[in-house]
Amino acid sequence: MKRPSPLATFVAVFQGNLPRLLQLRGWVLAALPLVIVVGGLLVSILLRLNGTPMGAEAPWALFRLGLAPVMVPIMALVAAPAGIREDLEQRVLPFLLVRPIPVWVLPLARGAGWFLWGGVWLGLAALGLGGLGLPVLMPFLALLLAYWAELAFLSLLGLVFRRGTLWGVLALFLWDPLVRFLPGRLQWFTFIHHLEALAGPPSSGQVRGLLEQAPMTTSILASALVLLVFGGICWALAGWKLQVTSIGLSGGEGEG
Amino acid sequence: MSLLSLDRASLRYGDILGLSPTSFSLPLGGGITGLLGPNGAGKSSLIQLLCGLLPPSGGEVRVFGEAPYRNPAILGRIGLVPEGDRFPTGLRGDRWLRMMGRLSGLEGQALETALGATLDLVGMTDRAHLPFSAMSKGMRQRIRLAQGLLHGSDLLVLDEPFNGLDPEGRLELMETLRGLAGQGRHILVSSHILGEVAQLTDRILLLLRGRLLAEGSVTEIRALLDRHPVELRVHSEDPRAVARWAVEEAGLAGLRMEAGAVVLSVGSPRAFLPRFQDAVARGAFPFTALSPLDLDLDAVFHYLVQDHA
Repeated sequence: MKRPSPLATFVAVFQGNLPRLLQLRGWVLAALPLVIVVGGLLVSILLRLNGTPMGAEAPWALFRLGLAPVMVPIMALVAAPAGIREDLEQRVLPFLLVRPIPVWVLPLARGAGWFLWGGVWLGLAALGLGGLGLPVLMPFLALLLAYWAELAFLSLLGLVFRRGTLWGVLALFLWDPLVRFLPGRLQWFTFIHHLEALAGPPSSGQVRGLLEQAPMTTSILASALVLLVFGGICWALAGWKLQVTSIGLSGGEGEG
Repeated sequence: MSLLSLDRASLRYGDILGLSPTSFSLPLGGGITGLLGPNGAGKSSLIQLLCGLLPPSGGEVRVFGEAPYRNPAILGRIGLVPEGDRFPTGLRGDRWLRMMGRLSGLEGQALETALGATLDLVGMTDRAHLPFSAMSKGMRQRIRLAQGLLHGSDLLVLDEPFNGLDPEGRLELMETLRGLAGQGRHILVSSHILGEVAQLTDRILLLLRGRLLAEGSVTEIRALLDRHPVELRVHSEDPRAVARWAVEEAGLAGLRMEAGAVVLSVGSPRAFLPRFQDAVARGAFPFTALSPLDLDLDAVFHYLVQDHA
C-alpha cells in the first residue's frame, strides 16, 4: 500500500467528516448570520407597512454593527472547536495519528468543511442584505475572508492552548474592539479593520461606532491579502504544531 | 529481525514516569501476546510507544526493525484499537471506516473489498451503516476493531478491548482474535483482568508500576518464582495417608488438610511429581485426583505483585 499524499489525506479527511457539519453546531452556525438578515428584513417590512421606509444607512448598520463585528467572530468561535480540537477532545485523534499520513494536513482538512459551510451561509446573508440595498460582492468577500482568517486563528489557538476558545473570545471581543478605538496603525492589527476596508469605507452618512477613530485607509487588495495570508499562516502553524506535538491516547501531550 | 524490541526504552509524562527503562523483544511468527498489569502499570504507555503515538523519553523502540514514531513505513503495518468507548460523533460506521481505509493507502475497489471482508470478519456487515450514536458499545468496539484490521495490519494492538463488553461480546471477540492469530497475525492484547488474557494466550508480558516484571509463558514465569512453592491438591479417600507419605519426602515445604483432600506445598514439582507417581503406582495411599492450585495466571500475577510490593 502506498502512503497517502498530502492531497489524498486532505480529501479523505474533508470528505469523511462532511456529515459532521449537519449536527446541531452546524445549524447554529448557519443561523447566526441569518438572524441579522432576517431581523433586518422584518424591520424593513414593518417600517414599510408603517409608511416610513428604511433609510439607506440601515443595511450598512446591520453589516457594520451586527454581521461583521459580532456574528462572524461568533461563527468562528462556534466552528473552530468542531475542527481538529473536537478530534482531540473526543479522543479520536489517535486513530488518525497512527495512520501513515502527513499529520500537518489534518488541521486544515478538518477546518475546511466548516469554512465552506460557514461561507455558504455568509453568502446567503450577503444576498439578503443585498435585498435591502447593500452591495453584495465586496461585503461577501469581506465576510468570507474575515471568517477564513478568524477560523484559522481560533483553530491554531485551540491547538496551542487548552482554553483556546477563551483566548479567542479575548482576541475577537476585547482586542479587536479596543484597538479599533485607538488611533494610528494599531488598527491594522485587527480583523475588523481589514473587513471594513474590503467592504468599503463608510461615507459620512454611514453609521460609525461611538468613540471610533477616523479609520486608516488600507487598499482593498492589501486587506484581502492580509486576511488571506494571515489565515494561511495560522493553518500552517496549526499543522506544524500538530506535527511536532506528540499526542497520546488520552489526547494529552506526551513529553517524549 | 524481531516483531518488536525495546532497549532501555522509557516514557515520561512531565515529572511522572509512565514506563521505566525497559528492555525486551518479541519474535516474529504470529500469535497472541498478553500485556498484563493492574491499572496504572504502564500498559498504555508501552502501547503508545509501540504504535508510534509517542516517542520514547529514553532508549530505543523498534517495531519490524524500525522506530515507529511518525514512521509511515511502520505505521502502515500497525493496527491500534485504543481503550475506551471513543468514537466520532455525527458519523456512520462505514463512512468512518472508508476514511480510515483511505488514510491507510487503500482506494477504489481495493478499499471496498477490504471493507467488506473486514466487516464480515467482525460481524458488522448489516449494521455498519448505523451512526455511532445509534450503535451499542459492543457494536462500536467491533467497528474500532475493524479500523485496526482494514488495512491488513501485521501487528494488531488492542488496549483493554474487553472493557464494557457483555460476556457474549467478550467470547465473540476472543474467537475473532484467535482466528486472526491463526492466520499468522501478531496480536498484542492488554488487560488488567487476568482471566481474559489467560483464555487467549499463554505468552505474557507482566507490567507493574511502570516496570516490566516478567515475560514468557505462565509456566516459565512460575518456574522463576522459587520463593513460592507450588501447591498441589491431592484428592484421596484417606488424605491422612497421603500426608503421612508426604512428610517423609524431601522437598515438602508444607501441607494442610482439607475435607477429602490434602494440599501439599512442594519446592520443585519437577522432582516431586515422579516420586508421587511411584507412590501412587505402589499403592502407598488411596488416590483419586491431583490438581495444581497456583500454576495459573492469577497465582503468578499475585506472587509477582507480592514480591515487588
